[in-house]
Amino acid sequence: MLDRFRLELAFAGVILLVGALGLLGSAGLDTGWASDGPQAGFFPFRVSIILIGAAALVAVNAWRARGTLAAIPVIDREGGLRVLRFGLPVLGMVAVAQWLGLYVAMALYLLVAIRWVGGRRFATGLAVALGVTFASFVVFEKWFGVPLLKGPLETLLGLG
Amino acid sequence: MLSNLEALMHGFSVALTGYHVLLMIAGVLLGILVGVLPGLGAPNGVTLLLPLTFSMDPVSAIILLTSLYWGALFGGSTTSILFNIPGEPSSVATTFDGYPMARQGRATEALTFAFVSAGIGALVGIVVITLLSGAVASFALRFGPPEYFAVYLLAFASFIAFGGGAPLKTIVSLALGFGFGMMGMDTVSGSMRLTFDIPELIRGISFLVVVIGLFGLGELLLTIEEGPEFKGANARLDPAAMLHAIAALPRYWLAILRGCAVGVWMGITPGGPTAASFMSYGLARRMSRNGTGFGGGEPEGVIAPETADHSAGTAAMLPMLSLGIPGSATSAVMLGGLMIWGLNPGPMLFIEQRDFVWGMIASMYLGNVIGMVLALATVPLFAAMLSVSFSIIGPVIVTVCLVGAYTVAGAPFDLWLALGFGAAGYVMKKLDYPLAPLVLAMVIGDKAEDAFRQSMLMSNGSLGVLWANPLVGTLSTIALFFLLWPVAAAALGRRRTAAVAAEPGA
Repeated sequence: MLDRFRLELAFAGVILLVGALGLLGSAGLDTGWASDGPQAGFFPFRVSIILIGAAALVAVNAWRARGTLAAIPVIDREGGLRVLRFGLPVLGMVAVAQWLGLYVAMALYLLVAIRWVGGRRFATGLAVALGVTFASFVVFEKWFGVPLLKGPLETLLGLG
Repeated sequence: MLSNLEALMHGFSVALTGYHVLLMIAGVLLGILVGVLPGLGAPNGVTLLLPLTFSMDPVSAIILLTSLYWGALFGGSTTSILFNIPGEPSSVATTFDGYPMARQGRATEALTFAFVSAGIGALVGIVVITLLSGAVASFALRFGPPEYFAVYLLAFASFIAFGGGAPLKTIVSLALGFGFGMMGMDTVSGSMRLTFDIPELIRGISFLVVVIGLFGLGELLLTIEEGPEFKGANARLDPAAMLHAIAALPRYWLAILRGCAVGVWMGITPGGPTAASFMSYGLARRMSRNGTGFGGGEPEGVIAPETADHSAGTAAMLPMLSLGIPGSATSAVMLGGLMIWGLNPGPMLFIEQRDFVWGMIASMYLGNVIGMVLALATVPLFAAMLSVSFSIIGPVIVTVCLVGAYTVAGAPFDLWLALGFGAAGYVMKKLDYPLAPLVLAMVIGDKAEDAFRQSMLMSNGSLGVLWANPLVGTLSTIALFFLLWPVAAAALGRRRTAAVAAEPGA
């Protein structure tokens, strides 16, 4: 589905972008060298330059070896689908957590991932979801006193 | 030397309390669990546990975390041998001969060889630490900022020269680490750097969140892609075969010796356990009389990587304790922990925190023995656990990772970060970008920059201070030489055929 050559180029592009962002971020700082040595922006600026340079070189190397690299598949269709099916619910959990808190997000995610992605029985999914959520609550809130992100439901139940 | 022994005895008196032994057992068991589960490795096992130790006494905390590390190193081998699934990147080399042995019905033998030789490797690493750390620390006490900067530079440069990855990709990893490490408040001038006026970025990016993303979620995605099916060999242990294997072990003394030497070297220089185990396997295959049998279930092919893996894992603690420079990704996380507990890693630890340093070293002896015994004893238990389908275990691991990312700072934004770094880690692994340098650069990049800027304050902005005396001059010159090594090697046409595709330092 995706060959190594394209992935190399794409990721080099991402690094190039990160480097450009770094340049942008250090633009407002003093990137020079004063009598007391390098200023605040000195290293951010140069690290960004190095990133951009290295990314360009990676891309050039990939281009020079494009014949061999294009023949190497890195992700096949089936594997890619598996990654997406696994990854998207995780994305969903993070999004829901911002809004409803980690406990609710965790329970929903586990139920969805085990029942619909994993294809297990509904009862299994529900049991794991409730079990893990309850165990997390006890371990973090009660034993270690580390509060996790809570949402409206916890407030409603008087736990927040 | 003698004063070291005395200090070690004192350390044992600190480490050998009932509470600490319980912590060791708990740590080792958690570690084996983390090591057995694919997607949870030593670096992010330690990371996940770290926020829970913030309120603990530093000695107890480090005993718990190091024990978890030993457990993870042992646990990684279990799955390599029984399921052909390396639970840890550093136990990939163990699958080459361990799994074939298990398929031939020699699982007990392979596991015994792996655990006992790993135990021996660890022991050698700890003895090296016991004997040398004091001397290294008192030597390092004479270091000023220029010397420190030169040592940091040496650590980064040796990653590029000997890390085993493509030098260019190692540079990208290091630069990304430096960049992420710089975000937030600048410690010298107090100005905000690379925060882009986003309030969430003012406190910077925590390396713990990055580790959870790169090593946890990223690793999980890789496992998922391959469609994990645990087709295990028989996990029943036969006590007679175990004794038989232990009796046969002395015959492989040369492989063990070689593994220890490779491991200790790779652990002290920041090569890390992964590179060490591959290198040891490669050396054994080339040099052993049984070399042709490698890959088909040759015991030496299990012993060589396992010994090196563990001696590297333990030896990595030497530069961490005495210089404040981690030798592997996991020790980088622990170093970050030290700073969070309010300790200042480096030679002053040996003077100001004797209880901590020697308590930790003493606990390593016992922790590894406990690890070896528990790893063998719990093989059936953890093997049975893997028979639970990955469609259940996988999502649970995801939850553990995300909850861990949240507990680092209690920031919902960190969940997004962990997710982003998970995706990045997946792609980076695919393209053989080494991940350990990124973590190392994040953890000590700040300190390296501070050391550099302090040196420049001392010298009024002249780089000559890095060659001001023979000591710092030698360090700087070697570092420069390492930095230029890939260029020189390419120019000489001796392009190193890196047998190591995986990233160094787990």
